[in-house]
Amino acid sequence: MFRLVIFELFKLFRLRSVGLGLLAAFLLPFLWALAPGLKEVYGLVLASGWQVVSLSLLAGMEFLFPFLVVMAASESLGSEISQGTLKSLLLRPLPRTALLLAKLLAVLLYPFALLGASFLGSLLAGLPHGLGGFYGGTGLGQGGFAGAGFLSAQQALGELLHAHLLAGVVLLPLAALALLYATIFLSTTASALAAVATLLLMRLLVAFPALTPFLLTTYLDLHLRPQAAGLGLPLLFIYTLGFAFLAALVFERKDL
Amino acid sequence: MDALRLEGLGKRYGRKPILENVSLAVRPGEVYALAGPNGSGKTTLIRLVTGLAFPTAGRALLLGEDVHQNPQARRHLGAVVEAPAAFYPYLTGRENLRMQAYLAGIKDEGRISEVLARLRLLAVADQKVGSYSLGQRQRLGLAAAILHHPKVLVLDEPTSGLDPEGVELVHGLLEELAQEGVAVLLSTHHLQEVSRYAHKVGILGGGRLLDEVRLEGREIFRLEAEPLEGALALLRTLPGITHPHLQGKVILFEGNPEEALRVLLREGYRVKALHPQGFDLMAYYQERVKHV
Repeated sequence: MFRLVIFELFKLFRLRSVGLGLLAAFLLPFLWALAPGLKEVYGLVLASGWQVVSLSLLAGMEFLFPFLVVMAASESLGSEISQGTLKSLLLRPLPRTALLLAKLLAVLLYPFALLGASFLGSLLAGLPHGLGGFYGGTGLGQGGFAGAGFLSAQQALGELLHAHLLAGVVLLPLAALALLYATIFLSTTASALAAVATLLLMRLLVAFPALTPFLLTTYLDLHLRPQAAGLGLPLLFIYTLGFAFLAALVFERKDL
Repeated sequence: MDALRLEGLGKRYGRKPILENVSLAVRPGEVYALAGPNGSGKTTLIRLVTGLAFPTAGRALLLGEDVHQNPQARRHLGAVVEAPAAFYPYLTGRENLRMQAYLAGIKDEGRISEVLARLRLLAVADQKVGSYSLGQRQRLGLAAAILHHPKVLVLDEPTSGLDPEGVELVHGLLEELAQEGVAVLLSTHHLQEVSRYAHKVGILGGGRLLDEVRLEGREIFRLEAEPLEGALALLRTLPGITHPHLQGKVILFEGNPEEALRVLLREGYRVKALHPQGFDLMAYYQERVKHV
């Protein structure tokens, strides 16, 4: 199983959407660091390189990172179907669930790789602004970007790592959802569109206040509201496991 | 025990039947060719047999194990279900086989070189599959299928896209494998080629197995007699004569030619010619599928 997961990871990082995603995540912070409208949009005048890191996370989590994760998860199965290689895999005495589980584990690692690339790119892009302590905030803690006085490098790093970790967890159910749709539609595009449409639909459901605490979309900004992690994290894990279970169930009896 | 056994296999999509009540058996060392016009259900049958699709009726057994209930049954199976066979284009032929070997639990690296050599692919083994020709990919597919010494080989159009040398290579290999005891089920449109070594031919039409023709040890006789229809009707009544049928203006039959001749002459039929003839599978096939 371990080697199967390694093999799935190897294949995942050969996918076009993954390569482009990682490149975008790494390079976009350089763009944000030079953006002239930061003050108007985020109320931010860059005072530290750490703010570039948080800015990249905030901007990415708006739409880009969820979309890239959904694309990668969809393509992880969709590309095998379009290439015809899935059939070759399933001709081997390998339980379908084991194969899907290996794919799931690979796509669940991808959000962290994506956020890692963004973190690394942001650190490099932020270097000219310095990565020491500064007066201000990361935008993720108390006082937003204005902060609440002096923030040491260690505190800033801690806040950012915590936020990236939470953002990674937020992206997990999206990956599992896209994989579920990929097993249903057996197509990269259909699966990615269905996953995005589901998220948009969930966003519309905020009109039903009783449902709001249980919606996946309610927790997409968990990295900004760590206090909501008490309910949010278990719910995100439940969503991830639920989608994964459904994907395995569909895939087990799917005609190829 | 049959190496491969299909029992009442059927497949429907909604209300539309694609395959209905297909039963057949392939013994170890036997080559079973599936023939049929496009859309007759050959590929669906191959997908069902290999466990890629699920039947709506019946079951498929590989050495007695239900392929849809137990994925481990596929340890006996080698298969190529697409033409050309699909591989990861960014890996070399050898790397693709190494990956397949891992999934099949083979640790012997030498076996990979052995099958590459057997399919004459050693020269391109370390090139990326993306640069392979269709024929090379097709041969690599067969190499992957026989990698783990399968007891049952299932192939969909194994010679599709191959040049004449490649076709000969594949037929030679399949014949050899059958002699080694491997049961082979293949779908093909090239009946003349496979009739050289196939033991049985199953003719599919309209989603049904219309006929199963045994080729092994078959002796066919060609009779020219007058009146033709009457002679045919008479032959049908004789216990020593089997499969009498018309082909153009002659009657083809199997069985005892002396008995046929004696009875025909006794009944006053004019026999113009009677001689043995190789079984014309293509003509027989065309006759069977004509009205489907």
